[in-house]
Amino acid sequence: MAITNDGLTLDLRGVSKNYGRKSVLNDVSHTFTPGLTLLTGPSGAGKSTLLRLLATVERPSRGEIAWRGARLPGARAKLRRTLGYAPQAVELPEDLTAREFAMHIASLKGLASGAADKQFGAITDAIGLHADINNRIASFSGGMRRRLIFAQAMLGAPQMLALDEPTAELDSETARKLGALLLERARDSIVVMTTHLADELAPHATAVLRVEAGNVVRTA
Amino acid sequence: MITITSSSWQTSLQRYWRSWGLWLLLLVAPVGARYMLPINGDGVAIAIGGELPLMTSPFLGVSLGIVVSTLVLPIAWLYLRSNTTRRQPWQIEEVTPGSRVAIALGRFGADVIIMLAMLTTLTFAGWFLGWLLIPPRPFNLYEITLALWLVAAPALMGLAALRILFDARPLLRSGFGDFLYFVLWITSIALPATTVGQVTSFATNMVDFAGFVTPLTFASPAGADDFAIGGIEAAQGNLQLDVMAGLFSPGYIQSRFAWAGIAVALAAIAGLIYRPHLVRRRAGKPGRFTAWLNPGPPPKAIPNAQPARAAALAWVSLFVTEFRLIGAGRVFLLLAAGIAALGAFMDFRHAASPAALLLLVFALSAHAGRSEARGLLALTKTTSFAPMMRRVAFITAGAAWMTLLALPVLVRAPSLETLGLAAGSGAVAALTASAIASVSGSAFAPRLVLLVLWYGYFSAPPG
Repeated sequence: MAITNDGLTLDLRGVSKNYGRKSVLNDVSHTFTPGLTLLTGPSGAGKSTLLRLLATVERPSRGEIAWRGARLPGARAKLRRTLGYAPQAVELPEDLTAREFAMHIASLKGLASGAADKQFGAITDAIGLHADINNRIASFSGGMRRRLIFAQAMLGAPQMLALDEPTAELDSETARKLGALLLERARDSIVVMTTHLADELAPHATAVLRVEAGNVVRTA
Repeated sequence: MITITSSSWQTSLQRYWRSWGLWLLLLVAPVGARYMLPINGDGVAIAIGGELPLMTSPFLGVSLGIVVSTLVLPIAWLYLRSNTTRRQPWQIEEVTPGSRVAIALGRFGADVIIMLAMLTTLTFAGWFLGWLLIPPRPFNLYEITLALWLVAAPALMGLAALRILFDARPLLRSGFGDFLYFVLWITSIALPATTVGQVTSFATNMVDFAGFVTPLTFASPAGADDFAIGGIEAAQGNLQLDVMAGLFSPGYIQSRFAWAGIAVALAAIAGLIYRPHLVRRRAGKPGRFTAWLNPGPPPKAIPNAQPARAAALAWVSLFVTEFRLIGAGRVFLLLAAGIAALGAFMDFRHAASPAALLLLVFALSAHAGRSEARGLLALTKTTSFAPMMRRVAFITAGAAWMTLLALPVLVRAPSLETLGLAAGSGAVAALTASAIASVSGSAFAPRLVLLVLWYGYFSAPPG
């Protein structure tokens, strides 16, 4: 089935998220469209929670999320078919090589293994990880793990990318390469990310949302 | 030193109290006792000289001690390893100047408290069961308690000490540690049988870590001091067994205190021999064997590779990936090839299939554990295939691996029974691994449970 980016939107309508009595997001409404959307704000403001909602990891306590006009959770399977998600912390399987792990994720995404292997090679080559993809993850540094988490999110042709601090622990040169890949992907995909490099990426962003105390305000 | 021990003890206890698993653990022994004790013809019978003893207060206490040795020790091991070993902040602790002996003793103290709390719940359950089972014979709470605690408390302290000791060395923190514990546990149950018939002394009692042999055999009728637990068809109990005489026999109580002392010493030794966790880095120059084990350099990258398309047969692709990941690594493939080849010349049920299953126990639990890690599920649950679909593929792949390992046998002597046994046992092992890993979020709980099940499969009598 060919997937086009016509009508490619992810809508949040009056979305709130509570953990018990604690309110983390309050009445958030925003339409995400193709391009790069940056989430900024202080630690603990609710950025990662918002990303988890976009990535279907969690469900809103109130309000609704719609993918291409169809409401979740009904449309969740459709969204997941074209979703790339890079959480901030993942318990990576230490005893696998990076390539084995990527092929595991590719199979879960329903991707053709041969093509996924080639694409993984290309992505890791672009972000300086290729020489290590046959090494066990146990031997990886923090930055290498970050790049691996990013690379698995890019597998396939995700139309929705939710990335939580993909540039953390990366040197500026690698972060720049990673940013270039993201901007290329953002031409025809929705890319939502939190990053400490917001100032550098903001000129290229379609929108900048500031999350503070559970409230979301568009600042650019 | 005392401050560190106290802090280590308190923080460990706080973590235990906040773990929901503790409440399950406290229930394990009483519930196990209800179903293991011979009540209304059910349960596991204990026979001396082929005859069932009369249920008396001290005999009930020893029977509950046997429940601890046979059922509780592996479950408590799982609990202790899952609560602290995996989730200690060792990255921070190991760079502090704090005494490892003090930390080890503090943790050991907390583990002992938890084990004795469980023993207390079993004691209360024993009183209740005694009230049901023993009258009209004399019902004595003191005798139930004394017998149970003399048998079980040192064994549980030993378990806590082993837990601390196995957390002290890199190799013992791994799956090898679980396997070694399994071997020690089985040995501890089987070894005391070698002392039956010998004159009771401190030395013979020291062989009996589980502590139930002397109380059962010391006062048994002359010529009838062999004992059996489970799998017995014996006449209803009329054997008058003076268990209290066994408890106060020469060297018994001293040996139980000695085992408790050894447990404390082991915990201290664990602190002395502690080695930091290994942060594995790439070796500069791998040796020939290490190089052979590694997959080698990656294929040349194609910079303009197209985004991967959806697989035509995504289910098949998922199954193949699970199959590959279960059998990841050349060591596994080498062992699998060896077992399959040798299996062609051996009896499948009692030699080839146990060997193949033992290999798969480690491979299946490793992959189930890594796939079900909670920190990874947050990512994998957002993919097209829900975790439940992956589990189905995993179970299918487990059945396929076992069938593949049985292939030489099937070629030599085609048999539907062999095929069914191979595929079925592989599927059951994979299902068990997946189910337990999904609850525990790790590999070692399914590994230990599978090892116990494997032992049952391996030791089951022919026919």
